[in-house]
Amino acid sequence: MTRYVLKTLWRHRTRTLLTVTGAAVAMFVFCFVGSVQEGLQRLTSGADAERSLIVFQENRFCPTTSRLPEDYARKISELPGVRDVMPIQVWTNNCRASLDIVVFNGADPDQIQQTRPLKLLAGSWQQFTSQRDAAIVGRNVAQRRGLKVGDQFSIGDISVNVAGIFQSTVPSEENLIYTSLKFLQYTRGLDAAGLVTQHEVLLSSDADPDRVASQIDETLRAGSVATKTRRKGAFQASTLSDLVDLIGFAHWLGYACVGLVLSLVATTTVMSVQDRIKEYAVLQTIGVRPLRALRLVLAESTLLCLVGGWLGTALALLALGLGGFAIGAEGATIAFRPSFDLALSGIFTSILVGVVAGLAPAIQAATVPIVNALREA
Amino acid sequence: MALVELRGVSKSFRKGDETITPLDNIDLNIEAGEFLSLMGPSGTGKSTLLNLVSGIDRPDSGTIMVAGTDVTQLSRSKLADWRAANLGYIFQTHNLIPVLTAYENVELPTLLLKLSSSQRRQRVELAMEAVGLSDRAEHYPRQLSGGQEQRVGIARAIVAHPKVVVADEPTGSLDAETSEQVQVLLQRLNKELNITLLMVTHDRDVAAIASRQLVLDRGKFLELAEAGQTS
Ligand SMILES: Nc1ncnc2c1ncn2[C@@H]1O[C@H](COP(=O)(O)OP(=O)(O)O)[C@@H](O)[C@H]1O
Ligand SMILES: [Mg+2]
Repeated sequence: MTRYVLKTLWRHRTRTLLTVTGAAVAMFVFCFVGSVQEGLQRLTSGADAERSLIVFQENRFCPTTSRLPEDYARKISELPGVRDVMPIQVWTNNCRASLDIVVFNGADPDQIQQTRPLKLLAGSWQQFTSQRDAAIVGRNVAQRRGLKVGDQFSIGDISVNVAGIFQSTVPSEENLIYTSLKFLQYTRGLDAAGLVTQHEVLLSSDADPDRVASQIDETLRAGSVATKTRRKGAFQASTLSDLVDLIGFAHWLGYACVGLVLSLVATTTVMSVQDRIKEYAVLQTIGVRPLRALRLVLAESTLLCLVGGWLGTALALLALGLGGFAIGAEGATIAFRPSFDLALSGIFTSILVGVVAGLAPAIQAATVPIVNALREA
Repeated sequence: MALVELRGVSKSFRKGDETITPLDNIDLNIEAGEFLSLMGPSGTGKSTLLNLVSGIDRPDSGTIMVAGTDVTQLSRSKLADWRAANLGYIFQTHNLIPVLTAYENVELPTLLLKLSSSQRRQRVELAMEAVGLSDRAEHYPRQLSGGQEQRVGIARAIVAHPKVVVADEPTGSLDAETSEQVQVLLQRLNKELNITLLMVTHDRDVAAIASRQLVLDRGKFLELAEAGQTS
C-alpha cells in the first residue's frame, strides 16, 4: 500500500515536485524566521542576560556617544553585590540597523579570558594577550567575513591581526571582535584615552540585579557623567528596540509560511484525490476499509509536506550554520544560529501541516459513494 | 441453504420527482458452484442487484445472505472486510489501478488478508497463471490490451479465493474475439476452480455460457432455462 502512495505521487511528478519545492521554500523561510525569533529570545534570557549589568551613559544610544570614565570601574566594584567589573570600549562600523555590522569590544584580555564564556576554536590566548593589535573573532563574524587566524582585518581606521576564533555559549557574542582595551581606546577618531563606552558588571550570586543597578546609578550621579544601568538583556533589547518590533512582526511571516504550505499541499491533495475518486471507490469495492483509504490520502499529503519541509528545514539550518548571519544596531547584535529545536519544530510543523492539509480530501476518499463513483465512466 | 439468498429485496431510486423501483420485492437463490447469468434490457436493475449482493449498495428492504452473513446488517467498514475475504468483483471496464503493475494490481486484495509474503506471492502467481498472463506481470495497465486488462481484473477478483465472484458485463467493452477469450476463462474458473459466479450481461450468447440463466424484467425474474436447453 505504501507503494501505491509512492507510485501515485511519482505518476504526477511535476505536480509533486512543484508542491515539494513550494513547501521547501516556505519551510526555509519559516525556519529562518524561527531562528531570528530564537536569537531575540536568547538575547533577553539566560544567565548572561539576566545576571550581568551594563552601565551606559545616560540618554545616549550609539556606542560612540557614550563616554564614561574608565575609573568608574573601581567605584562600581566597591558596591555590595558586584563580583567583577569589565570596562569596555565599543566600536562599530555602523550605528544603524544592519545585516553586516562589525562590532569591536575592547577590554582587558585577561579579564575577557576569565569572565567571558568563550572557547577558542583556533589560535591562542597567549598571542591575544601579548600582541597589541591582536583580536579574537567570534565565529559568526569569521564565517561571514571569511577570517582565519593570522589574517589582517581592516575596517574604517581599525586594523587588527586575527589571533583566534572563538565560540561562546552566548550566541550574540559570536558576532563580536574582542581587542585589548588600550588598542581600541587609542584608535584614531575615537580619542578615548581614559574613557570607555560601558562597564559590564558581573553580580555575585545572591545580588538582586535591579537593586544593584539603581545603586550604581545613584553612586555615580556624583561623578562627571551620569549613567543608566540595566540588565544586559534589557539593555540589548532596548538598544535593538526598533528591530525587536520588526522581528515580533516577522513571526507573522512564519505563520504565513505555514499557511502557504498548508494551502499548497491541500490543493495538490484535493486535486489528486478528485482526479482519482473512482480509484478509491474501486479500492473499497476490493475490500479496502474507509479508514484505510483515509490513511492512504493522509500518507500522501504528509509525505509531500514532510519531504518539502525536511528539505526546507535542512537547507535553512545549513544556510544558518554556514552564513553566520546576524542583525544588529548600535553595537548590539542578534545572532541567527541553527538549533536542534529549530530542526524539530520544522519537522514537527511539516508533519502536522501534512495531516491537516490531507484531512478534507482524506474524508472525501473514505466516504466516497461507491456506487455513484463507479457509475461515472 | 444456498450460498446467496435474497429475500424480499427492494430498491428504488429517486430521480427528481420520479421514483424508479428497479428491484421490487425479489427473491433469489444461488447455489455454491453455480454459474448464474442475469440478462435484461438496460436500466432494469441488473447492476443494482450485483451491487446489493456485493454490499457496496444497500436495499430499502429485505435480507441478503451471502455465505451465511446478512450483508445488509454490516457497517461500511465491516462490509469492506467482508468483501476482502468473500467477494470478488469484476467490472465492465477493468478499473485497474493505473500506477500499479499487473502483478501489483492482482496483489492488492491479498494485502488486505493475513497472509505470509510467500503465501501472497503464491496466490498472485496462481491467479496470474489462471488468466494466462504470467508473462505480463510487470506490465502496466496501459501497456496491456483491453482483453488482457480485463483478464488482470479477473485475476484480481479471484486471487483472495472469494466465495462469490460477481461480474458486471465483463465482456461489455471487448471486441468479439477477446470477449470469447474472457467467456472461456470465466467458464473454466467456474468448472475447474469451482468458483460461484454471478454475471450480468445483455448479450444472449455470453449468457449462454452460464449454467443457469435469468432475465430481469420490470423488477421480477424470469427463469430462462437450464444450461444446454437454450436456443
Ligand atoms: N445511484 C443511482 N442513482 C439514481 N438512479 C440510479 C442509481 N443507480 C441506478 N439507478 C437507476 O436505476 C435503474 C437501474 O440501474 P442499473 O442497475 O444500473 O441498470 P442495469 O445495470 O440493468 O442497466 C436505472 O434506471 C438507473 O438509472
Ligand atoms: Mg448495468
